Amino acid sequence: MTEIISLRPLLAVLVSAVAVAPILASRGRPNLREAWTILAAVTKFGLVASMVPAVLAGDVYVTDLGAFVPGVNFALEADALGLLFGLLASLLWVVTSFYSMGYMRGLDEDHQTRYFASFAGSVSAAIGIAFAGNLLVLFVFYELLTVATYPLVTHDQTTEARAAGRKYLTYTFGGGVAVLAGTVLVYVLAGTTTFTPGGIADLATTDPTLASAAFGLLILGFGVKAALMPLHSWLPDAMVAPTPVSGLLHAVAVVKSGVFGIARVTLDVFGPDAVADLGLGIALAFVAAATLLISSVIALRQDNLKRRLAFSTVSQLSYIVLGVAVGVSVAPDRAAAYALAGGLLHIPAHAFMKLTLFFCAGAIHVETHTDDISDMAGIGRRMPLTMTAFGVASLGMAGIPLIAGFVSKYFILVGTVSSGQLLFTGALLISGVLNIAYFWPVVYTAFFESPDDGNSKPLLESPFGGDRDVATDGGHEAEHGEHGHGDGWTTAGWRGGESTWLMVAPILFAAAGSVVLGIVPDAAVFLQIVRAVVEGVTGVVL
Amino acid sequence: MSDLAPLLVALPVFGSVVALLAGLARDRVGWAVAVLTLVVQTAVAGTLMADVLGSEAIRYVVGGFTVPIGIELVVDGLSATIALLVAVVSLGVLAYARRAGPRSNAFYVIYLLLVAGLSGMSITGDIFNMYVFLEITGLTAYALVASGDGGRSAIAGLKYLLVGTVGASLFLLGIGFAYIATGTLNMGDLATQLAEVGYGSPLVLAAFGLLVVGLFVKIAVFPLHTWQPAAYAGAPDSVSAFISALVSTVAAYALIRIVFTVFGTEFLAATPLASTVLAAGAVVSIVVGSLLAVSQSELKRMLAYSSVSQFGLIVGAVAVGNVVALTGAAIHLVGHAIMKGGLFLAVGLVNDVTGARTVDEYAGLAKRSPVGAAAFSVLAVAMVGVPPAVGFVGKWYIALGAVEAGAWPLVVVIFASTLLTLAYFARVVERIYFRDSTETSGLAPTATDGGEDDAPEPVVSVGMRATVVAAAVVAVALGAVAAGYGDLLEPTIEGLLS
Amino acid sequence: MTGLEALADRLYYLAAFLLLGIGTYTLIGSQNLVKKVIGMNVFQTGIFLFFIAAAFITGASPPLLTAPAPYVSPLPHVLILTAIVVGVSLTAVALGLIVRIYDEYGTLNEETLREVQADE
Repeated sequence: MTEIISLRPLLAVLVSAVAVAPILASRGRPNLREAWTILAAVTKFGLVASMVPAVLAGDVYVTDLGAFVPGVNFALEADALGLLFGLLASLLWVVTSFYSMGYMRGLDEDHQTRYFASFAGSVSAAIGIAFAGNLLVLFVFYELLTVATYPLVTHDQTTEARAAGRKYLTYTFGGGVAVLAGTVLVYVLAGTTTFTPGGIADLATTDPTLASAAFGLLILGFGVKAALMPLHSWLPDAMVAPTPVSGLLHAVAVVKSGVFGIARVTLDVFGPDAVADLGLGIALAFVAAATLLISSVIALRQDNLKRRLAFSTVSQLSYIVLGVAVGVSVAPDRAAAYALAGGLLHIPAHAFMKLTLFFCAGAIHVETHTDDISDMAGIGRRMPLTMTAFGVASLGMAGIPLIAGFVSKYFILVGTVSSGQLLFTGALLISGVLNIAYFWPVVYTAFFESPDDGNSKPLLESPFGGDRDVATDGGHEAEHGEHGHGDGWTTAGWRGGESTWLMVAPILFAAAGSVVLGIVPDAAVFLQIVRAVVEGVTGVVL
Repeated sequence: MSDLAPLLVALPVFGSVVALLAGLARDRVGWAVAVLTLVVQTAVAGTLMADVLGSEAIRYVVGGFTVPIGIELVVDGLSATIALLVAVVSLGVLAYARRAGPRSNAFYVIYLLLVAGLSGMSITGDIFNMYVFLEITGLTAYALVASGDGGRSAIAGLKYLLVGTVGASLFLLGIGFAYIATGTLNMGDLATQLAEVGYGSPLVLAAFGLLVVGLFVKIAVFPLHTWQPAAYAGAPDSVSAFISALVSTVAAYALIRIVFTVFGTEFLAATPLASTVLAAGAVVSIVVGSLLAVSQSELKRMLAYSSVSQFGLIVGAVAVGNVVALTGAAIHLVGHAIMKGGLFLAVGLVNDVTGARTVDEYAGLAKRSPVGAAAFSVLAVAMVGVPPAVGFVGKWYIALGAVEAGAWPLVVVIFASTLLTLAYFARVVERIYFRDSTETSGLAPTATDGGEDDAPEPVVSVGMRATVVAAAVVAVALGAVAAGYGDLLEPTIEGLLS
Repeated sequence: MTGLEALADRLYYLAAFLLLGIGTYTLIGSQNLVKKVIGMNVFQTGIFLFFIAAAFITGASPPLLTAPAPYVSPLPHVLILTAIVVGVSLTAVALGLIVRIYDEYGTLNEETLREVQADE
């Protein structure tokens, strides 16, 4: 491994932060404003992508800005693990930018300038998290991400949105405090917080009790954004945000920053050996397994599509945590490598699939102002492309072969089986069934039911008989009622008449991404990056 | 170079006299005199700072009487920092006060005297001299608080005076005990003499207790803070900013001097109760200050309670008493001064633009006063301790020091303080940006006193906006240089602790 | 040394602390602002006397060059001169504020003032 001193990681972080200024400045001219967003997104992706070949070859790009506090430098470092997250976030930001334009304009939302500016800031912070060279810098961007995403959660400015924003701040800043406390402990114990593949030397041996406390605090802190139960309850509430936010931030950037933090802590701060010695990996795995089961059950009962997706996110994030936790808590052999690879690969896999699902939910909301699954009977005729993409992504979520979710889940399964952790294997399988159970009704309702019999199976939580006056979007219902709930959906063709291409194209792109990751995972660069990470940690070449 | 030290006190006193005399001849000359004085003051303080940071302290004996009989001025890294802070902040507030007022000549006369008192406290090496400067600071601060229109500020000023005088008197009583025990008033000399008397002596213990309690009153540590909310809320906006940024800050600096220069770490080691009292004061202040801040409806009172809480952090650092924590205390003193002063100025700016003074009136402020709203939000976020702003760096050092010392209860409270601070700032920021104003038109500006003299509302000047924005920028930018400063300060702190 | 002697020896200190107590009580207990200021003065006077008493040495003469040695310690006298000046200025400022408050509200009772302020 050689270190390449380069400004590229810094630039990659800064591009979108710098773009905030012109975005704010061109508040009066929406087209120019969005042009800045797109320019920043493409530049950012280009910068991140340009680092891929060298990183795959085993190099690391480093930007060191000197001392931040004594003993800790403000260092950015693009290694394989960081690049996995950075590449994903920057690529999907490009997609989401186009989608945002369609979505925000389609709904004629207020405060669009604030929205795009905050979005750019959030992505900057997310890339900062990806390329942070030590725990403290990671913490800096982790906090900034909270600040930058807060306006997006509260975007609607309704009482509900403000309450969600408050909850979001409380949870994530609470998590931030735990991360900071853990970072301080790590620094006091080891004298450094720099990420070291395989773990910082002597961290766990100096004082095992304090080291365990530090590990606990860090996991607790990152667990908030990773939505580990019982720290997850901000996430479903945060779904009041505009859908692109729910999609990119609350399925990809923010929540993955939590997961990514957990991966960094286990792999590069404590290291697999220390985590195994302290006996903390299995504990973490149990929390993850419990989370993925419980949240799947809760998802079954959600009628609001976005809330169902949110609980699905809670569940899927725990796959990642479970993979990583199992990967570091058993001896570093092939089994561990498989579990680890599965967990890490699920980061991009879940991102593509969940983004597709959220984009679909958003498109449905924009076009038909429908948010509840019980109101979606027959919507497949109105939005065929959207709902097909939705179907593909849900199948992937459930782990059906040929779609991204299968590959990652397969790796995790192999890992848990061959390391003898059959309890977790069982949890994974049950959760797979539950995944089908909560996604299939959506697809079924959309394609195989018509609005007339749509009310015949009221969910426990839904207003009786789908009474639309009590529906969450009752406000919109009045103006858009003629969109045809009564007479059935108007039929749109298969050539995109269902919505603007600004929304349909991103949906198809994300769905295609999940299929590519599922059919030819070896060609997709993400698996290669994951391999590089796993090889660096366990020494096993997959 | 050592001849520069007395200038820090002499300059503002001289400027004050000039302002007074010139005021007899011409109106409105006070501001110019004050600016001129403070520019020179800043230059002097800056030069001293450059000289002493990372090198030996400068000592100056006043009037040629030899130490320990004569009065000594000592400028080390820490005192130079505070002196420079005083000069810079007072200069910054002037830029704001030109338009925002109070504009009388008397105001600038007293203002410069206050600067003299604060600078004197920062650099004196004599404990009785410190008392005198403490009283000069107090007297002028009382007068400034009362310089607002109407009865409210007069009552606030009187309350401040009564409580503040008791605090200063206790400080004087503590000096008396220390003097009886040792027969000296020079801080350096006191340190050696107190050690000879023995730390267990009741006289020494009483002296410590009285000095610390006296300063607790001046710092406004809970429950001795009662003067502070009324004073900050009753004073004119420029004065609130100035006093909140500096008076408690310098008192906290005095606490560091008394505890470490006069009594020293060995005293703390020999008297566990002393550390416990300090730590208890810190914990109670942080928690209760924040809780009281949450329950306030008036912005300025909320910020006042926020100060109670933030100075709890500083006192906590003193209780921990190692190099890292004290470096953190120094950084947080500077950072807090900039942030809190900036917040008060932002509140003043908002008040002048929209008339909003309460948390509820801040709803939808982003539209009505974008500059004030943005500056307030940035400063609030910095105060919460979001990196890389200076609020975070100070907290990092203090927390690190507390962990190194193993002071776990304090560690917990220090980390929790982030959330406590968030609790009272988040509700304001949320109203600013995510709630629409209840009234369609701007609120009628309401004078604090119910307004019997309706002077034409001062238009917000460029200087006012610039000061507020500068405070926000500095609060963030200082975070980047704080570490370098901490390194430079280390020899000073190590000297303080040895 | 019997208890009585010890008391007699410290009689000045005792008086000083009594004054401190009386001053504090008046400062806190009285509702009248002027009386509060008087309490503050009594409190400070107690401290002044404490310093003067501390300077006393049995059998010494006042610190005047014309008087024979040994002298009592002159330093506390000087300090207290300064402190008295400070005290006088404080009293002046306090009384000035009280005049303003009286002009404004027509009362010097703290309780009444609080009610008036709450109404504003």
